[in-house]
Amino acid sequence: MKDDLNIVGKRVVRSDSLAKVTGQARYTADLKFPNMLVAKVLRSPYPHAKIVRIDLKRALKVPGVKAAISGFDGYGIKWGVFRYTQDHAMLHTDKVRYIGEDVAAVAAVDEETAMEALSYIKVDYEPLPAVYDPIESMKDGAPQIHSEYKNNINIHIHIDVGEVDRAMGKAFLVREDTFKAAGEAYAMMEPYAVVASYVNGYLDLWMPNAGPHVRAKALSNMLKLPLNKVRIRHINSGGAFGGRSEVAPGDLVASLLSIKAGRPVKLVLSREENATSSRQVHDMIATVKTGMKKDGTIVAKDFKVIYDGGAYSSTGPIATSIPFYVYEECYRFPNVRYNGYRVFTNKGIRGMYGCHGRAFLAGNEAQMDIMAKQLGMDPVEVRLKNGLRSGEMTATKSKITSCGLKETIIAASEKTNFKKRWAKPSRLKGVGMGCVAIMCGFPMGFRSGSSCYVKINDDGQVTIVTGLVDNGQGNESMVIQVASEVLGVPMGDINLVNADTEVTNLDPGAYSQAAAFVGANAVRVACENARKRIVAIASEKLGVKEAEIGLKDGLAYSIKKPDKKMPISWVVREAFFRGEPIVATGSFFPNIDFEREWVSRPWGQMAGTFSFGTSVAEVNIDSETGKITMPRFTSAHDCGRAINPMAVEGQMEGSIQQAGVAAITEGNLWDKGHLLNPDLLEYKVPLACDMPDMDTIIISSRDPAGPFGAKEGGLTVRMNAYSAVACAVANATGELFSELPLTPDRVMNILERKKGVK
Amino acid sequence: MKTMKVTFQVNSDKVTLQVKPYETLLETLRERLALTGAKEACGMGSCGACTVVVDGIPMRSCLVLTPEVNGAVITTVEGLKQDDRLHPLQEAFMEKGAVQCGFCTSGMIMTAKALLDRNKKPTKKEIITTISSNICRCTGYKKIVEAVEAAAKRT
Amino acid sequence: MVLPEFEYKKANSIAEAVALYKGYKGKAKYLAGGTDLVPLVKLRLSAPKAVIDLKGIKELKTISRGDGWLSIGANVTLFDLKNDPAIKGYFPALYESLDATSCETLQMRGTIGGNILQDTRCLEYNQSLQWRTARGFCFKMGGKTCNVVQGAKACFANYCSDNAPALITLSAQAKLAGPKGARTVKLENLFTGDGKKPLALEEGEMLVQIQIPLKKTKGAYEKLRIRDSMDYPLVGVAVSVAGTKARACIGGVGLVPRVYDLKNVNDAAVREAAEKAYAEAKPVANATLTPAYRKKMVGVLLKRAFNKALQEGK
Ligand SMILES: Cc1cc2nc3c(=O)[nH]c(=O)nc-3n(C[C@H](O)[C@H](O)[C@H](O)COP(=O)(O)OP(=O)(O)OC[C@H]3O[C@@H](n4cnc5c(N)ncnc54)[C@H](O)[C@@H]3O)c2cc1C
Ligand code: SF4
Ligand code: FES
Ligand code: FES
Repeated sequence: MKDDLNIVGKRVVRSDSLAKVTGQARYTADLKFPNMLVAKVLRSPYPHAKIVRIDLKRALKVPGVKAAISGFDGYGIKWGVFRYTQDHAMLHTDKVRYIGEDVAAVAAVDEETAMEALSYIKVDYEPLPAVYDPIESMKDGAPQIHSEYKNNINIHIHIDVGEVDRAMGKAFLVREDTFKAAGEAYAMMEPYAVVASYVNGYLDLWMPNAGPHVRAKALSNMLKLPLNKVRIRHINSGGAFGGRSEVAPGDLVASLLSIKAGRPVKLVLSREENATSSRQVHDMIATVKTGMKKDGTIVAKDFKVIYDGGAYSSTGPIATSIPFYVYEECYRFPNVRYNGYRVFTNKGIRGMYGCHGRAFLAGNEAQMDIMAKQLGMDPVEVRLKNGLRSGEMTATKSKITSCGLKETIIAASEKTNFKKRWAKPSRLKGVGMGCVAIMCGFPMGFRSGSSCYVKINDDGQVTIVTGLVDNGQGNESMVIQVASEVLGVPMGDINLVNADTEVTNLDPGAYSQAAAFVGANAVRVACENARKRIVAIASEKLGVKEAEIGLKDGLAYSIKKPDKKMPISWVVREAFFRGEPIVATGSFFPNIDFEREWVSRPWGQMAGTFSFGTSVAEVNIDSETGKITMPRFTSAHDCGRAINPMAVEGQMEGSIQQAGVAAITEGNLWDKGHLLNPDLLEYKVPLACDMPDMDTIIISSRDPAGPFGAKEGGLTVRMNAYSAVACAVANATGELFSELPLTPDRVMNILERKKGVK
Repeated sequence: MKTMKVTFQVNSDKVTLQVKPYETLLETLRERLALTGAKEACGMGSCGACTVVVDGIPMRSCLVLTPEVNGAVITTVEGLKQDDRLHPLQEAFMEKGAVQCGFCTSGMIMTAKALLDRNKKPTKKEIITTISSNICRCTGYKKIVEAVEAAAKRT
Repeated sequence: MVLPEFEYKKANSIAEAVALYKGYKGKAKYLAGGTDLVPLVKLRLSAPKAVIDLKGIKELKTISRGDGWLSIGANVTLFDLKNDPAIKGYFPALYESLDATSCETLQMRGTIGGNILQDTRCLEYNQSLQWRTARGFCFKMGGKTCNVVQGAKACFANYCSDNAPALITLSAQAKLAGPKGARTVKLENLFTGDGKKPLALEEGEMLVQIQIPLKKTKGAYEKLRIRDSMDYPLVGVAVSVAGTKARACIGGVGLVPRVYDLKNVNDAAVREAAEKAYAEAKPVANATLTPAYRKKMVGVLLKRAFNKALQEGK
């Protein structure tokens, strides 16, 4: 792979940061249009109730109110990511299924008027019995939340590879444990907001989103508008983490109101509404049974995982599968059975999350350590022994094309002197290690690929057009950097037009870890195609062979005689003269088995490539209070190649916060269907003072298909940092955790359990 | 509804406005003065995204009533640039990669600015204490701390 | 979130503030830093017709010494108070409680008066009107039940000032002024034990000063919280020692800070106080950690605070 790169691999200043440090970057709530109205949503006070009647008449009479809607004003079309999960009408005419669910809405000249009008909407409900616990919900006789899903089982993923029972029977060591974890809040700093503007039959929308094209498609279905009349526009996004992947009820609400009022409508959710009524993360209960040989080889795994799915399917089949896959992509499981159940409850909707699956993943890793210890092995040995290598297949038949797992394990353990410290933990101080792999992209049918259009303007500056979206992780800057590398034009001379459904093509979006591997790859291909055209003309004009032309700093030059050169702008002008301006397209479509389906056919190539990572947490436990402090955290991540190392480190550090430190602080608290901490005070996003010293190590395995070898920028840490913490607590106490987050009260229980045993 | 006349200086401008007595400073800045750099992430004083500097003191503008700042001098993130030169904190936030989604950024920068204005050479520990007033969901804070340290060296 | 309608008035003297208050016939609220009040009004837990801003009153802003007392104006900010050398030198418990209060930015805005006079808190109470309507109103909101303890006849909300317990261990008193004149009360007598009206202030009464006997003490404040900044105490234990006598005070659990006097500080007395404090603490499931754990921490942190106070004194 080419290594003499100009700008890829450099710590460049992100292209979006100037606007952000000067306060000029615009987010949805900052938008203001002439005649714009403010929307407010009336929400269900019941966890489960039949809607008998909704009366909007009095609300409409409040002066200043310009429109009011309920489910009766829509088409009642139910949305679902999959054909078999279409259960979410967003505004309902039959019943409500959780507290905070959207019931009706108004648009008025200002917020106060809209709030007043809400108080005049009359809704008659017939309360129904509700259920909040997934185990209760699966029982016969539990209230049925959707008639078409028996026992409230929304999704059942069943995977059975090899002969699990036989292998388990023959294993030297078998252990089974159950782990629980509270669901988290995405807690992205920007509360959900949407602006809809319906003019001349065209609907324009702005909202933080992780995939504009899928969003437009969903809205076009629900509003019965042709796709060319629904346009999602580019806007900055204040964080997503998986919580902005799908069309939101607010999108439909704002659209319907704007269509009714004929004016632009802005809906901004409060922090509480963002927590209760946008998306939440699954609570889960994971039972993990493992069989090992005497030498530490895992011979069988048997999993039963119950996901509390809240009231609707959302990305259910994916969410019910991902924790299993990121684990089987990491380790060799000759015999494995997975039963994942996603169960409906009368709570808010649960979606995918960057840190999804912590009970399952942390449980597996912590259990593995305890078993290894029994066999006289340490965490490093057992992971190296069972870890997948380049060229191997996962249990469900995905080929691993490039694999830096071993390198991440070794780098992280050497950096932390792990083996020695793990073997001799001093009193209530421990170290723990977590590993995981991540698929870069997954099957999304024809939406799995990305394409890019590039044009070089007459001054030599570049415009690139792509469907790729940025939720704050730096995707925009990344593709500008890639284009800059290929075209030899400084980043500042490249304009990006992106995430606008009218002018860009399909892209998988920013929720399947495909932005670098797929989105940036398409940009690379398009720019290479444009480059060929530039090189051809330059070669002719400079009298230098094409192979000997270099592009750098806006110049085309002879690599052998660098003083033979010309500005790229001259090349472009020449191209215009010839009536063949330099424009190019490029696409990338990953090598995925499209027969693969989450429920019906869970095998085949999952993604074009996989990233790997290892985290090491160091914990100190206060013996009297159970409070955990983390002096240091080390993560090594195989990202293929870091296009911008500073951005990759930033992702890794953010992940240590959001998964690692969160493992001791974060969890949603419930009183039946009432979310007790829908805020940023009692929901504990770690603060600067709670953070460990962080070491991030970037491992470059150079993926053969990735752009310049890149895979994805840091997600493994989001899915192994909690495992490292759980393992470190086990190392310090000798006991497995039973529930996350490991708040001091739970740690005290562990310490007391230990004393009791003695 | 009765409104009140309020006069204050915001960045380099002196403004006089008729405001609602129960209007927050955040609303006034964002809705009346089009200064949307300060963000509302919680509206309840729990995150710091709305922080602006009032008479040298960092304040959560979502908890301040506009009539309270009558006569005050207010600096927002939009007012940090001087003669087209970025403030050292703005430069350092960019160079150190302290910005991801950017939603906490203006509040972070304004909180740090008030610190550097009262303490030219803060220790790392002091910086951490100060920015522990603000939530960032993206960065893990390391690069934010580094940026404030770098800016302190430059001022 | 927008605020409901109210008027804004600014007072320049105590008399003016009290007169304004009377003009609104009890429907007004005094406003200091607003960091407790404004969130409550946003949540529609408080609905004043007017707020009376006290920040223009000069005498509320000073710290002075005289007659063996340190007198702190109610409007002195937590940050300024913390940085007054007298606090660190004389009252380490208070220094530590100030330093542990919320976060630096809020310390710079919040006042000591507002801190003491803050409302009590509960996970089922500090919620929006929408949220509470769905849940059903409890005692503290004028309803007929407690939403945390089924069948209870009272409210168990937590008084979460970090600094009142520290001040109580220092035998501080509150100087009040109101429509009926001025009075001075011991700080520990400022609490009613009634969830709906947790503070024993008369209608329109203002806190003018906090006065602390100016005697050197040893002391410490131990605070249980999840995050090391921003968070309210889940348990807060202040301890001050003067000579052989000591006082401990527990906050963050229930409506009233509990006081424990020790005539002779020694290991046995500390142990006894810790056991008593543990036995008497009655936390319920209205804060983020389990009640059993918070109860246990009352004893643990009391011992820890004594250890720290006595060690630092050496
Ligand atoms: C995110 C967050 C975290 C917090 N964390 C903590 C914490 O950890 N510990 C803690 O103790 N507090 C905490 N607080 C609460 C608050 O910030 C502090 O208690 C602060 O000191 C309150 O002071 P203030 O001046 O802002 O009070 P205000 O809100 O102005 O007033 C509080 C109450 O006192 C009344 N009042 C104020 N002054 C007077 C007076 N002179 N006479 C009569 N009545 C008066 C007001 O009418 C009001 O009812 C937190 C607040 C927030 C928003
Ligand atoms: S303790 Fe009970 S009565 Fe008091 S505020 Fe909480 S729910 Fe209401
Ligand atoms: S928006 Fe003001 S503190 Fe969060
Ligand atoms: S950069 Fe996203 S919240 Fe801080």
